[in-house]
Amino acid sequence: MFYRLSGVHHADYVSDTRIFKLPADRNLAAFIFLFGLVAPFIIPSLYLNSYILPWLIWTAAALGLNLVTGWAGQLHLGYAAVMAVGAYSAIHAARFGIPWEFALIIGGLSSSVIGSLFAFAALRVKGLYLALTTLAMQFVMDWVLTHSPAITGGSHASLQSPTLALLGQDITSDAGYYYVAFGWCVLVTIFMLNLKRTGLGRALVAVREKDFAAAILGVNSFYYKILAFATSSFIAGVSGALLIATFFFLAAPEQFSVNVSIQVLAMVIVGGLGSVIGSYFGVALILLVPGLVNGLVVAGSAGLGTQINVETLAHIPNAVYGALIVVVLLIEPLGLGKLYGNIRDYLMVWPFDQLRK
Amino acid sequence: MKQLTKALAALSMMGGLITGTQALAEPFKVGVCYDLSKAYTFATPQVSQAALDLAKLINMKGGIGGEPVEVIVRDHGNEPQRGIECYSRLSREGVFVFDTLSTPVSLAILPRAMQDERVLMQSLVGRGDAVDGTVFDWVYPAGPSYWGQVANDIGYIKQLHDGDLSDVKVGYIYFDYPFGQEPIEILQTLSEMEGFELLLYPVPLPGSDQSGAWSKMRRDKPDHVISWMLGGAHVVASKEMQRNRIPMEKYISVNWLNEVDIANIGTEAAIGLKRGTNVVGGPDVALRTEIISELYDKGQGSGPLVNTQDVYYNTGLAMHSIIFEAARRAEEMEGLPITAQSYKAGLESLENYDANGLMAPITLTAEDHGGGGKTRIEMWDGETWVPQTDWLAEYSDVVWDVVRESSSKYEQ
Repeated sequence: MFYRLSGVHHADYVSDTRIFKLPADRNLAAFIFLFGLVAPFIIPSLYLNSYILPWLIWTAAALGLNLVTGWAGQLHLGYAAVMAVGAYSAIHAARFGIPWEFALIIGGLSSSVIGSLFAFAALRVKGLYLALTTLAMQFVMDWVLTHSPAITGGSHASLQSPTLALLGQDITSDAGYYYVAFGWCVLVTIFMLNLKRTGLGRALVAVREKDFAAAILGVNSFYYKILAFATSSFIAGVSGALLIATFFFLAAPEQFSVNVSIQVLAMVIVGGLGSVIGSYFGVALILLVPGLVNGLVVAGSAGLGTQINVETLAHIPNAVYGALIVVVLLIEPLGLGKLYGNIRDYLMVWPFDQLRK
Repeated sequence: MKQLTKALAALSMMGGLITGTQALAEPFKVGVCYDLSKAYTFATPQVSQAALDLAKLINMKGGIGGEPVEVIVRDHGNEPQRGIECYSRLSREGVFVFDTLSTPVSLAILPRAMQDERVLMQSLVGRGDAVDGTVFDWVYPAGPSYWGQVANDIGYIKQLHDGDLSDVKVGYIYFDYPFGQEPIEILQTLSEMEGFELLLYPVPLPGSDQSGAWSKMRRDKPDHVISWMLGGAHVVASKEMQRNRIPMEKYISVNWLNEVDIANIGTEAAIGLKRGTNVVGGPDVALRTEIISELYDKGQGSGPLVNTQDVYYNTGLAMHSIIFEAARRAEEMEGLPITAQSYKAGLESLENYDANGLMAPITLTAEDHGGGGKTRIEMWDGETWVPQTDWLAEYSDVVWDVVRESSSKYEQ
């Protein structure tokens, strides 16, 4: 009913390879896009800047990791380190006086270079060994950051980001920051949606499924793995730089430490490997739910008038949040994206689904 | 119909009255965004309990200017993103004084607080150059920076050696990340100035493996060991010291060492151990005694009694006494309601304030947001902490050189 299928025919290849084959999907995407455009006028600034903005940037970052982990099937435990490279190079470039547009690209490219350099070494091994090698990359980067005051900005290891300016406009308002994050997230999303329609996307999937089978098909798996690492590192770098420029305003090594890497990986896995919409859900769950549950528990205990020790109060949300992840993965091991897919598939034929049985 | 309008009018008047009185009775609120669940849990329970107790005590005595005070405690799990969320949420509720007790979160909030003109207290955490009030107008470390603290440690060692450090060896064992690396700059400057030999012993986080550092120390034989580590790492250090026959007297810890660590080392084994501190150690401070008799003896404490026997509880009392004392001054000087501006003036009017003998006296000015950076050395005698020095602020000019050099880079 909601996803009316009648009258939807794909009579040629162009129509069959559209991103959104159903009008309902297309309309939903258009609606969400329009909502995103007017969000600053509807949503109070607290929610816009403390929840939605980091959500969008982390989604862009998670999509980048999804490219390498979900599409190309390579486990990556050093993603935050790659983001750090981008963030620090972009900020240093901007502090040096280079316009932000180029600084962001410099950030992305330097991430790309370092990310693929590591991939060269790391890709000689597979599976868990690759995961460990990328983890090593994270630790090397942590060490470099905490031991190079020239990069991280003196003995406090905090580096102030200059005011963001794009296309000659200083960006200082909440709405401005939001639009920058929104724009970047939309760009990455469009790229990822199109990926599966390209030869690159198909090659990556072939590599993921079985790399030597892909080689027999004439797909150079090493080349495509490197390409996946380089592309995802570029996305990571720009996302890292934007995270600092629009949200933290100041870079510190803790913002890109090993637990952040694991968090991003959790976002991708909980959201669903290889799922674009899943990344949005996964980031929401991992990034926003702890804070929201915390708020709910505090409000709930205040509402009930109970005297709970502040320490206990802080640990309840953690337990709830952990349970939530377990429950999601128990219900649907393929992640939140698949969960959404199931609901969509059900609604596609509802109320006539019994006809199929 | 007429009745209905009358009733509505009465209702709206009542509503106006209620909101009106509410605006008047708006309590002075402190936003306590702490890490109660992750890395800083060794200290946050005691410190937040102290804050809540102190607020209760003040309210029992009639609040500030007749209005109650409120401490809002929230968990941020040491994640900058959640710290910012806590800050933004409480800011909207009218809070303009924040404390984070977490370096990453303090760093993340700092640019926002500076822009929004809200007071960020950051005793014992955050960037040390924030004591420079000319650059960081809205940030108040209100206590010693690690730079000042380590300079005072050297001052104490100098006292022990009758003012001559020329053939003294000072070992510095530290977590090899910014927290531990911060004091090195000062130590090196002082080593050149005073002529003592500085030996560095980096230890990887979380400090559970220190065997290499201490066996090297056994060969180097430093006369004193200054330690910039936390929690369990002190216990590991004490074990390694016993193994390498290095007497406990040589160990001078950063302020982050409490009774829990002492108990883990062993109260007897820890005799002679020293720590730098800006608060008086031990349970016999006037403010704590008052809180025990007024709250805990009547069953109204904000948490377990054992937490109050911890030096971090005293630290918490000290931090929050400053916060409330500044509010009291602000109310005295400019009346209610207290605003961010009047509160800032209240902070900067604090002169030799020591919370009734609880801590090193601090004097906050528009230039010096650290309050003088005084600390002293205390020694564990098996039962309690015994002060070894008066409140010291040594080598202030050296410390301020480093502060200004660092803070000047902030705006660039």
